[in-house]
Amino acid sequence: LTYVSDTSLKGKKVCRVGYFLFRSKQLPAVSQAVSRDFHFTIYGKKEKTSKVTDSLSTQYPVVDHEFDAVVVGAGGAGLRAAFGLSEAGFNTACVTKLFPTRSHTVAAQGGINAALGNMEDDDWRWHFYDTVKGSDWLGDQDAIHYMTEQAPAAVIELENYGMPFSRTEAGKIYQRAFGGQSLKFGKGGQAHRCCCVADRTGHSLLHTLYGRSLRYDTSYFVEYFALDLLMENGECRGVIALCMEDGSIHRLRAKNTVIATGGYGRTYFSCTSAHTSTGDGTAMVTRAGLPCQDLEFVQFHPTGIYGAGCLITEGCRGEGGILINSEGERFMERYAPVAKDLASRDVVSRAMTIEIREGRGCGPDKDHVYLQLHHLPPQQLATRLPGISETAMIFAGVDVTKEPIPVLPTVHYNMGGIPTNYKGQVITHDNGVDKVVPGLYACGEAASASVHGANRLGANSLLDLVVFGRACALSIAESNKPGETVPSIKPNAGEESVANLDRLRFANGSIRTSELRLNMQKAMQGHAAVFRTGSTLQEGCEKLSALYGHLDDLKTFDRGIVWNTDLVETLELQNLMLCALQTIYGAEARKESRGAHAREDFKVQRSTACFSIALASQSSLNVLKHWCKKKIFYGDNVYGTKVDLQYRPVIDKTLNEDECAAVPPAIRSY
Amino acid sequence: MFAAALRRISRKVICCSQGFWRPALVGLSPSARSYRGDAPDDSMKDVIEIPIPPWQERLDEPIENKRARLLYESRKRGMLENCILLSLFAKEYLSTMTEKQLSLYDRLINEPSNDWDIYYWATETKPTPPVFDNEIMNMLKEYTKNKNMEQRLRQPDLEYLFEEQK
Repeated sequence: LTYVSDTSLKGKKVCRVGYFLFRSKQLPAVSQAVSRDFHFTIYGKKEKTSKVTDSLSTQYPVVDHEFDAVVVGAGGAGLRAAFGLSEAGFNTACVTKLFPTRSHTVAAQGGINAALGNMEDDDWRWHFYDTVKGSDWLGDQDAIHYMTEQAPAAVIELENYGMPFSRTEAGKIYQRAFGGQSLKFGKGGQAHRCCCVADRTGHSLLHTLYGRSLRYDTSYFVEYFALDLLMENGECRGVIALCMEDGSIHRLRAKNTVIATGGYGRTYFSCTSAHTSTGDGTAMVTRAGLPCQDLEFVQFHPTGIYGAGCLITEGCRGEGGILINSEGERFMERYAPVAKDLASRDVVSRAMTIEIREGRGCGPDKDHVYLQLHHLPPQQLATRLPGISETAMIFAGVDVTKEPIPVLPTVHYNMGGIPTNYKGQVITHDNGVDKVVPGLYACGEAASASVHGANRLGANSLLDLVVFGRACALSIAESNKPGETVPSIKPNAGEESVANLDRLRFANGSIRTSELRLNMQKAMQGHAAVFRTGSTLQEGCEKLSALYGHLDDLKTFDRGIVWNTDLVETLELQNLMLCALQTIYGAEARKESRGAHAREDFKVQRSTACFSIALASQSSLNVLKHWCKKKIFYGDNVYGTKVDLQYRPVIDKTLNEDECAAVPPAIRSY
Repeated sequence: MFAAALRRISRKVICCSQGFWRPALVGLSPSARSYRGDAPDDSMKDVIEIPIPPWQERLDEPIENKRARLLYESRKRGMLENCILLSLFAKEYLSTMTEKQLSLYDRLINEPSNDWDIYYWATETKPTPPVFDNEIMNMLKEYTKNKNMEQRLRQPDLEYLFEEQK
């Protein structure tokens, strides 16, 4: 079956994409088990493609597959979903651009929150309260209810799967203290709720789930780059992906698709995420014409190494480190006369950003400040801050005993993402009602359930991965059976994706991928970082829209198809650009300060007026009716720059008000 | 036959994973890095008991494909520090590595399942296990020291691959 596509580029130029379609015979489950050892090269694409292509430069062989479910991404959330689906008997594929243990989850050293009560009396309702408060009441309370209530079971399950949690002497799972976790609805002091596997919780989670999932014959498509969702009649019927090893195109048709592609931290110049956090799933959903939610909520860490993004622990300031501007002034004294450099994260980040905005930044671009440690005794540095001198030397080329470290508030986590309900089903919002998108699920940092709302608490992100990865698998199992008929797709489904790929591969415009990426990252850092105000955001929106237009004028270098890193990074740039655009337009439109989104021109929450009188004297209707709304975005198709905003109310009821009462909004203070 | 193969795999994994964790336990006290609350020792039970397929060298891979793959795999790591370090290292050395060095580098960046281990070995925070202690590891350790005190803020722009050829 061979044909040439001709319509997808809207008359821009005649498309050079030739298509070969051939269907790999669906292997029965039994033979899959036997071929599991070869799961990186199953479906024998090599010998098949070599038969059909004589000119790979203009033609892309297409291989079709059929599965009960396909998971995109193999981090903590993706693996938990894939494992759960395989365990329930579904023929499951997992498509990932990275080998599973290379996922960014590995960077998580902290742990997983769950109210197991191993260190003191604990209750998941207290964890629920902390999370609602942490979200600054932007989180959906039904999802937070679900997550915190399921947390202990999810952790025990992981333990049963073989995850070797650190233990107390009595043999229980050891739990440590983490910021933002309290007992008795904020009144009982610090809670010890965070379960860990020494300092490699993320790695252990990946290893355990990946290893376990192989026992159930999950088919892994490793080092395949997912291009787009296959959407038909408003239903998701799988994904189309590029195999990087040989350049073949694979259409994975499935009744259910789970997106678990992680965050989009790389839209910013300074970011702690791995360079692979490029919002691929978020952008795929946007291109499919579906909304994203709350993308403007981006968590920053005050002190990352400028540009590189490596975290410099806040302990540095605790040990006596000070922040200085280009004039050598210890500027925190002006912003927080008492606490000075020990002021809270928000205050420090904001002060740093204002110094830079007012022209007192350091370096040739005056775009960062210095963290000075060399006034401290070298021995104190070595014993109290191990690893810092080494990190500063490796990445900033700085000897901390002699010079200051260049630092900048650095992106750490993306709270927003693909909107889902508490079951992991992707939703849209029409005429005041949430509607499920059939066949499409999302979990992990890519999704917005939303449990983190306007700000995420430490050690709640790994919990999010595990609980909602599991929820996606459970919801699919609830309404589907293994082996059901997989809905059909049009013969030319995914054509636009291949045309786009081909266009990028031969792009010969005037701006290089690396150049445009850096311009985008600097624009985001300059206009949508910690200091947000109407005028800078509007400027930023214009800049970003202009930069987005440059996607049409890209120049790439590698014309090959085998392991074409240049092509993959250009595809990633397209994805990042969609995320960046929606983030900055969302930030501009949100005219209030809430959680991680701090507007200089709107310093209060939109609803704060309600709290000036006692809550008890207000009718609940009064508090809730006009209360904060969520942003939902409808991005245009691939090359449009229009960002539509619509609103969806926060879900302010729990799943069961008798069991767990919703927390009414209040002004956050810690 | 399949079961036998699986048993063989499990045995292999156990051998090589023991190689990973033993030196770590001997060489480093758990409090040497700084984060809140030091947890009790790591049993590494998952790594020992849950086998994942062992890394396998790609023997029939053309050398230019291997170089292209290793470039991708150097830039796409699990954690930021390795993304920057390995991508810059690859820019410096990948094009001139011999076939043998390529194979050592392939093993170094692909066999260990925990990216942090590679970082700790390169920074000499943890001793390198014998299986990875070779000329490539020495090159990486030297490179990591950043003796020229350069700023290593980003991955290198990929154009270097094509501009040099001009």
